[in-house]
Amino acid sequence: MNFQETRNNFRKKQVSAKELTEESLKKAKEKSELNAFISHFEEYALERASNIDANFDEFKDKPLGGIPIAHKDIFCTDGKKTTCASKMLENFIPPYESTVTKNCNDAGSIMIGKTNMDEFAMGSSNETSFFGPVKNPWGQSLVPGGSSGGSAACVAADITTISTGTDTGGSIRQPAALCGITGLKPTYGLVSRWGMIAFCSSMDQAGPLARDAFACSALLNAMASYDEKDSTCSKRESIDYEKGLNKDFGKLKIGILKGIENLGISEEVLNAYESSKKILEQLGHSFVELDFTELSSGICSYYVIAPAECSSNLSRFDGVKYGHRSEAKNISELYLKTRAEGFGDEVQKRILIGSYVLSAGFYDAYYRKAQKVRRMIKSKFDEFFKDVDLVFLPTTLDQAFEMNRESTDPNRMYKEDLLTIPANLAGLPAMSLPNGFSKNLPIGAQFVGNYFSEELLLNTAHKMQEVTDWHKMTP
Amino acid sequence: MNKIELKNLLFLARLQVKEEDQDKTIEKLQNTFEMIDQMNDLDLDKFEPLNNPLELTNVSRSDEEKNRNKKEEFLKKSPKSDEDYFVVPKIVE
Repeated sequence: MNFQETRNNFRKKQVSAKELTEESLKKAKEKSELNAFISHFEEYALERASNIDANFDEFKDKPLGGIPIAHKDIFCTDGKKTTCASKMLENFIPPYESTVTKNCNDAGSIMIGKTNMDEFAMGSSNETSFFGPVKNPWGQSLVPGGSSGGSAACVAADITTISTGTDTGGSIRQPAALCGITGLKPTYGLVSRWGMIAFCSSMDQAGPLARDAFACSALLNAMASYDEKDSTCSKRESIDYEKGLNKDFGKLKIGILKGIENLGISEEVLNAYESSKKILEQLGHSFVELDFTELSSGICSYYVIAPAECSSNLSRFDGVKYGHRSEAKNISELYLKTRAEGFGDEVQKRILIGSYVLSAGFYDAYYRKAQKVRRMIKSKFDEFFKDVDLVFLPTTLDQAFEMNRESTDPNRMYKEDLLTIPANLAGLPAMSLPNGFSKNLPIGAQFVGNYFSEELLLNTAHKMQEVTDWHKMTP
Repeated sequence: MNKIELKNLLFLARLQVKEEDQDKTIEKLQNTFEMIDQMNDLDLDKFEPLNNPLELTNVSRSDEEKNRNKKEEFLKKSPKSDEDYFVVPKIVE
């Protein structure tokens, strides 16, 4: 059952919040081999569901009233374990609630658990988690993508209809594409980062994952709010994204990239992309070819800026105030041992890259240069959006790949995010939706919009999903 | 990057890598820098560095107390604490 039907049934009292919650908890257990969850909150969820049923009138019209949800384990939940998939926070119980999870609670959802992810959101395959990899519901030897791999797998496996994720370089869109679901990275600043464990503060952005654009719009309605606790949160009039789905934005000019076949994208993904273009044409939209040869340099900029900010953000994990602590004879050894034991290999590698590019003598050669590339990418998009309403491109280079993939290219994993990173560097909203299948595995494509154009993104994706069935396919 | 540079970097980052794994770490870092160094082929003179995509200005609020410091609650989260303090191994010999 999809989100819209589930919510309608709850509103018509054809199903109770408790029944929905029991069903989700049961499926989570049945599909435990996916390893999509780090924590389950069975008792809490059932109690909350009963409470919602007992106060039905208060919850029936809320955007997520009575709906079970799974949150990425990067959002702090008051009194409930939040690990960020790291040994460093294996037993961490936050004393406060993130704005995103609070907003979802206020909107009437029922958290059934916290989902697995790449450690500190650093990864594109969910293989860097301290709690083991997540399996793709479409093929258990395959990765679900990352870093929000658990959240994507949870929706794809029909455990919940909605889940939350975060996207710093593609971490919502790439797993959404590899698991055959829909995911939106909002404009930087639309959703509060308060209580969301920081990786790269100038790019981290939380967003919804769900089967379709309709559910994403309802979840974004709940997630987005101005928050004075996040100084980068944008103060804007709130928009009802669900209502926006029925608007008529007319015929759009959609930007497509010249020379896209030279980016190393697989034949299957390119074929699906071409077919989707035909659907967009049938919907009355037209295309404008864009010259974006700079796209590939986004990845160079990202792998300087993100590690730089991560090395600074993760300096707080020192074994003193909270989290993992190693036994040590003196304070210096305490820091070194705690961090060497508490962080996994990929996190340590990124801290090292970050420390290097920020160190005296290298700042101009790396960090400052990367910030210039970032400006170049943003300027390019600013130029595009003078001519086009949206940019359309594949989400990933290929479909879901095997765990422990071996590649002759040592940077192959980083290239997973080649097509998603530019939107993060520029802070633009972008949305991935399923647009085809090959070898019984899903394929995704994404729209990138201008700043705060989530309403248009969701509307366009919704109109596409009204005439296609890719988002209805289940493993 | 050689082992001495790696050791300096490890100290800066407050991390440790076992002696036998250090060559592997150097190789991994160098591979990533090879990718990053492709930036050097770009002409970037006309671009100003960009810190934040929305180029936001700072936000201020009135100087009013909102939440009392939850001292006891936070101290309880510490691996080791004693009354008002976080306890760490001896710092001054």
